[in-house]
Amino acid sequence: MPPDGRDGKWVRRDLGPVVRPYAVTGGRTEPADGEVLDLVAVVVAVGNDSGAGDDPIRQTPEHRKILRLCQRPVTVADIASDTALPVGVVRVLLADLILEEAVRVVRNRPAVQLPGNDVLKEILNGLRAL
Amino acid sequence: MGSARSDGTDGGGDADDVPVLAAHKILIAGGFGAGKTTLVSAISEVRPLLTEERLSSAGAGLDDLRGVAGKTTTTVAMDFGRITISERLVLYLFGVPGQERFWFMWDELAYGALGAVVLADVRRLRDCFPSVNYFETRSLPFVVAINCFDDARRYDPEEVRVALDLDPGVPALLCDARQLSSVKNVLTTLVESISAEDQNPRRMASALPPV
Repeated sequence: MPPDGRDGKWVRRDLGPVVRPYAVTGGRTEPADGEVLDLVAVVVAVGNDSGAGDDPIRQTPEHRKILRLCQRPVTVADIASDTALPVGVVRVLLADLILEEAVRVVRNRPAVQLPGNDVLKEILNGLRAL
Repeated sequence: MGSARSDGTDGGGDADDVPVLAAHKILIAGGFGAGKTTLVSAISEVRPLLTEERLSSAGAGLDDLRGVAGKTTTTVAMDFGRITISERLVLYLFGVPGQERFWFMWDELAYGALGAVVLADVRRLRDCFPSVNYFETRSLPFVVAINCFDDARRYDPEEVRVALDLDPGVPALLCDARQLSSVKNVLTTLVESISAEDQNPRRMASALPPV
């Protein structure tokens, strides 16, 4: 994909923050399943860690790193922060793992309705205990 | 894939065994320099987050696009705080970039949020008008926390309430964004106000998920 700059040549400036992060997705900017995960969507790895061996997708270091973080339920925001990858990149990589059923979404968006009073009370007590 | 259910035979690894983590968002909004990051770091460990956002026309003239004519997204660095309430319940505080050119991020951040804190600086009160308008329009519960900067005149929260034309149900209170106890007070006031609102079929119901 040549740049549409005036002289048609890549100049260093063109390798801005858009290009580098999405290099790890092979240039893909949209999640393969079209699902945009919320920042606090919770994901978790399915099954055990070991079987991934010969799958080319999971062999990228970033996929593997994300899969490792998903051994416990974890949010998209935490994955992005832990990997220092932009959220958009994490969404693309997570979608790959979800499509091959290595990871599942426990909870995508927080409920549109309010959480119940018990949850609010739990949050209140937790805050007061800080 | 052949992941057998772990009937106590396999050393875990079955996702169904894992306690479900519930994560809730609270937004921290306010004008530039109102103390959002200070507030978040007073109560939680602050973690960096890079987001890739679509460039909107709002950024035109501000973002230098020379040489990157095809560039349609930009990287926005923001902070968030994580408060572990319990093993299965975590609260996330997202500082919402206050400048107008970041508004395109708000809908995603606000969607499904528990509520919001609008940090007000009385020296630049008008900076928080947009946040107040936004949360009122979306019926997202919010409190106005008046950050008491050392060199700012003290106002009664009621004066601020009048100046911002807040609904009676919206709490307004003084705070010191540097102090844990004060920030706790702000957040508990917010959560209490949510509980007090009953279970109205309210808020965000009209808001669409980000496109």
